[in-house]
Amino acid sequence: MRGLGYLIKEGVRSVWNNRMMSAASIGVLVSCLLITGAAMLLSMNVTSVVEEIGKDNQITVFLKEDIDDLEAIQKIGPELRKVDNVAEVEFYSKEQAINEYRSELGTLFSELQGVENPLPNAFHLTMVDLSQYETTVKDIRAVEGVDIISDRSDVAKRLTDLNRLVTQVGLWLVAALGIISLFIISNSVRMTMYSRRFEISIMKSVGATNHFVRIPFVIEGVVLGLISGIISSIVIAFLYEAMVSAVKYIVPVTEIPYSELAPRMTVGFIGFGMIIGAIGALISIGRYLNMEGGEILGW
Amino acid sequence: MIRFNNVSKVYPNGTRALNKVNIDIQKGEFVFIVGASGAGKSTFLKLIMKEEEPTSGSIIVNDTNITEMKRRKVPYLRRTMGIVFQDFRLIDKMTVFDNVAFAMRVIGARPKAVKKRVHYILGLVGLKDKAQSRPAELSGGEQQRVSLARALVNNPSLIIADEPTGNIDPEMSFEIIELLNEINKQGTTIIVVTHEHELVHKFKNRVIEIQGGEIMSDTGAPTEKADVKIEIAEEELAEIPEEIAEEIPDVSSEELNREALAAIEDEEAAEE
Ligand SMILES: Nc1ncnc2c1ncn2[C@@H]1O[C@H](COP(=O)(O)OP(=O)(O)O)[C@@H](O)[C@H]1O
Ligand SMILES: [Mg+2]
Repeated sequence: MRGLGYLIKEGVRSVWNNRMMSAASIGVLVSCLLITGAAMLLSMNVTSVVEEIGKDNQITVFLKEDIDDLEAIQKIGPELRKVDNVAEVEFYSKEQAINEYRSELGTLFSELQGVENPLPNAFHLTMVDLSQYETTVKDIRAVEGVDIISDRSDVAKRLTDLNRLVTQVGLWLVAALGIISLFIISNSVRMTMYSRRFEISIMKSVGATNHFVRIPFVIEGVVLGLISGIISSIVIAFLYEAMVSAVKYIVPVTEIPYSELAPRMTVGFIGFGMIIGAIGALISIGRYLNMEGGEILGW
Repeated sequence: MIRFNNVSKVYPNGTRALNKVNIDIQKGEFVFIVGASGAGKSTFLKLIMKEEEPTSGSIIVNDTNITEMKRRKVPYLRRTMGIVFQDFRLIDKMTVFDNVAFAMRVIGARPKAVKKRVHYILGLVGLKDKAQSRPAELSGGEQQRVSLARALVNNPSLIIADEPTGNIDPEMSFEIIELLNEINKQGTTIIVVTHEHELVHKFKNRVIEIQGGEIMSDTGAPTEKADVKIEIAEEELAEIPEEIAEEIPDVSSEELNREALAAIEDEEAAEE
């Protein structure tokens, strides 16, 4: 389109001319992007950790002490297998258990020699979907002969819960902050339009198309979004380090290196920022485009 | 050029600004519209530039019935007319040059064409030396000439001026009308609203009087053009175009019109 250079210059210039409002818009949009980004990064990491743990999502079902005869045990096996969400079931006898202890404890075990085997019989089993952990455990408990359940996937389960929480809270935050960002950017652009209503009225009277009147303001919004996206991309790199050490403090896991995430985050931030900027601007523009001469000037 | 057929305008608040107006203005005419304040003169102009819609009747501009014109074509209609306001409507923070250039830039003119054309037009209105001044540094008469330059810069076939001399002293007023007369001699149709009867009488142009939204009188086009002129103004006008004859703009009205038509066609094509 002809005159685009002029339009871009005008749009960029109004970001500066309107700098108080621009700074406020950028501040809000950066906060929005950072919170969104942080939630996404957390979620991505939790997912990767959960996957890692989920690879051996084995739980152990200990049987009541009095169940010792093969017949009773053989009944329980199929019962467990019937439970929803249970993938594999494997018997683990108390002899196997004690032998494992023995080899682990080595010489120390000699002290325990002669004592009757105190360990219960058990089953090792795995779940199909860890997120249905609670229901499955309840179902397993209901099986006759089951005493207690111990598992190593407790951490994974908690992380899955956390992941769900992060995703939910994150979505709400993104929606709320997205709306706030739209509002503040459209307000910023509206202020520019108001301060330039005189020029807009002249543009219309000399025959500028609505398209032409609109572009500088859309560019203003897009530039605000672009700047916010760039700032957020830089800040999130530092924020990520802080987040990783905070998470590591709670759970000792390996994080996804930021270098692996950086391109996605940067593109996402800048793209999202620019889209919010453009939409925010367009919200304000319609009103002015439908008015003529004196109406625009409020005369 | 312009025809009003039984045009009435009633504003939403019930004010009847024009009542069954019939007017025919030929291409190349110079028409004064006179009448008391509130008579409906500005409304008449706003209807021509499609800033307001008539309540009834039809308006033809350049062989087009603009009452039926689609909204998106209105900008192209306005490119064929130059508008001058009583309060100049210049942008304070822009130089004289940029104020005039603005009208070309916002319809997408090329920077090179803008530069040539604006210098030429500023010469035409006698403001070549003031190109880098701000409007606030100019007298009322000079500001109105900037406004006129802006109206002229896109080479319109019609100039509409709403009380162009209302805010300037009588001597300057005379110069402005004189300038418009010169422009009219090049073939541009001119419509000037004013309530300064003295000014009107100095020029032997067609005068239409509006009162209470109705045409009271219409002298019709004079058979003979006015020969009253200010010597100085004429000298100025005679000299300047020659001085800059070399830089005559490469934007002719034909080119602009062709572009306008092409743009309309583009849009139509895009819509389908
Ligand atoms: N936008 C408007 N809304 C309502 N009434 C209006 C509007 N513009 C003009 N009028 C009324 O219409 C009448 C004609 O106005 P106008 O055309 O501006 O007159 P003039 O230019 O001759 O002074 C006046 O009574 C004026 O108050
Ligand atoms: Mg008026």
